[in-house]
Amino acid sequence: MTAFLRSLSAIGLGLIYAFLLLPLVAVVGASLTAGEMMRLPPQGLSLKWFGRFLGSETFREALALSLQVAGTTVLVVVTVATLAALCHRALTRRLGAAFRVAMLLPLLLPELLTAIGLLFFLNHLGLGKTLPGLQIGHVVIAFPFAFLAIVAALEQVDPALEEASASLGASGFETFRRVVLPLVKSGMLTGGLFAFIVSFDMFTISLLLKPIGGNTLPLALFDFLTYDFDPTAAAAATLSVIFAFCGVVLIERLVGLRRAF
Amino acid sequence: MTQVDIAGLTKRYGGTLALDGVALQARDGELVSLLGPSGCGKTTTLRCIAGFLTPDGGEIRVDGQDIVALPPQKRDFGVVFQNYALFPHLTVFQNVAYGLQVRRIAPAEQQKRVAEALALVRLTGLESRLPRALSGGQQQRVALARALVIRPRLLLLDEPLANLDARLRDEVRWLIREVQQQAGITAFYVTHDQAEAMALSDRVAVMKGGRVVQFATPREIYQRPAEAYVARFTGEANMLPARPAQRLAEGLWRVAIGETVLEVPGATTLAEGASALLMLRPEALSLAPTGVPARVLAAAFLGASQQCDVALADGTRLRLQASPHLAVAPGDAVHLAVDAAHAWLMPDIAP
Repeated sequence: MTAFLRSLSAIGLGLIYAFLLLPLVAVVGASLTAGEMMRLPPQGLSLKWFGRFLGSETFREALALSLQVAGTTVLVVVTVATLAALCHRALTRRLGAAFRVAMLLPLLLPELLTAIGLLFFLNHLGLGKTLPGLQIGHVVIAFPFAFLAIVAALEQVDPALEEASASLGASGFETFRRVVLPLVKSGMLTGGLFAFIVSFDMFTISLLLKPIGGNTLPLALFDFLTYDFDPTAAAAATLSVIFAFCGVVLIERLVGLRRAF
Repeated sequence: MTQVDIAGLTKRYGGTLALDGVALQARDGELVSLLGPSGCGKTTTLRCIAGFLTPDGGEIRVDGQDIVALPPQKRDFGVVFQNYALFPHLTVFQNVAYGLQVRRIAPAEQQKRVAEALALVRLTGLESRLPRALSGGQQQRVALARALVIRPRLLLLDEPLANLDARLRDEVRWLIREVQQQAGITAFYVTHDQAEAMALSDRVAVMKGGRVVQFATPREIYQRPAEAYVARFTGEANMLPARPAQRLAEGLWRVAIGETVLEVPGATTLAEGASALLMLRPEALSLAPTGVPARVLAAAFLGASQQCDVALADGTRLRLQASPHLAVAPGDAVHLAVDAAHAWLMPDIAP
């Protein structure tokens, strides 16, 4: 009976993974085709669509903008989220819960709503359809992910460590630098990775807030797919996956995933 | 070098009074224990001394200077925590050197002082280990070294042995006492274990409901408790209600247990005729050919002694430590001898 249940759950698990991973395999497969159409199985193997992708000035510019925005997002979000997480830790239980909900609001509201709200607000400030405006939008949406990761890491830090540090003569800042920071570094890395992926994949916000004449990679892909259906898009998607995968491997190498989550 | 005077310390959490006018002193080089069950305010008191909590009222004077407004990093007190609180990302050496690094002490001097401190707690050779690679007893010794290396004015220990098993507890307990005496450092020690408090302390403050109910030497706490609460908390004690107390002299009273009249020492605060309790520790009673008649209820042979539960004629139950050489069995009629010098008459205060 238990053996039967075990094999049943194994099959179920296998199906779920297949459902999740097959589209990825299809896209990667399609990107490697030597033919002219996005189709499976690929007709011969070639990297020419990757070449086509990198050769396209539109895509290169979009990739550069996406990387730039995602990079800035990571720096801003990790800094602000660390400060917010420290604040959250210092609050009483009830105030802390309210603060946490407030910090997670961008995650709870529909992204479209946030995007429209930001559009009006940024227009008012004269930042509508500008790069700083787009950057602000990305920071707002990516922030809760980093906040959650850093709060989780900070919860693992025994408050007695900070007391011990203070009793040994360390000022508040020194305690943060020597004790708290090294212990939440893994959470900051994880949060930064989340922020990067969220920003790199962001569509709705980018669509409404993108600067005039600029395009992020997801937007450029969408534009491309509106008129074309050749495997360049699959190559772009494959590169995105590789970026994300590299990020995960990097975190695994630096802190170990089990500690990061 | 360090004398501490605490007076009128109060701390309120919402509606509850955690500290209700705590008063304590520690003379130079003295180890003072704060003893009591959980929730009695002993840890709150220690945290106020360390500066982790700000009291709502009262003063804490160290060598005459009130330190209540001083943040913990300016107090120069070494603190040892129940859960060790070692920095998990730093090695033993870095943990111990932490307070010296923060004080910007020259690296050569750091090396020397860390080596001394580790030798003191007998951990030389483990400098490069991380805390998680150490046993509980070793971790607590690192914590002790880390607190001592800064040459603190005061050492504060918050149940440092609570997380250790019995064998290690003994070892670390004697180490703490030895190191404290060697360094001549004034210390406060929080514990709920009366044996620990008795063995280590110069003086013990027994706490109840946010107040110090008795502050005296271990001997006095045990032999002359201020009230039944203290007597029960510091060891096994038989309590007999003893109403007709007649004063013979200052601190000497005449009381009757059944037919037997005794002259016993007692608290000076007692009033004649007021309701009182006579405390008889198990070792103040013995079996004898004559004396107070009693019947044996149960007897347990413990090797070096035997523990007997007996009932007096009026049904009062007593526990005593009898000589192991007398064979007694439940149901036997026996007589009790009372060592009046080691009895104690105290006021009957609701626990």
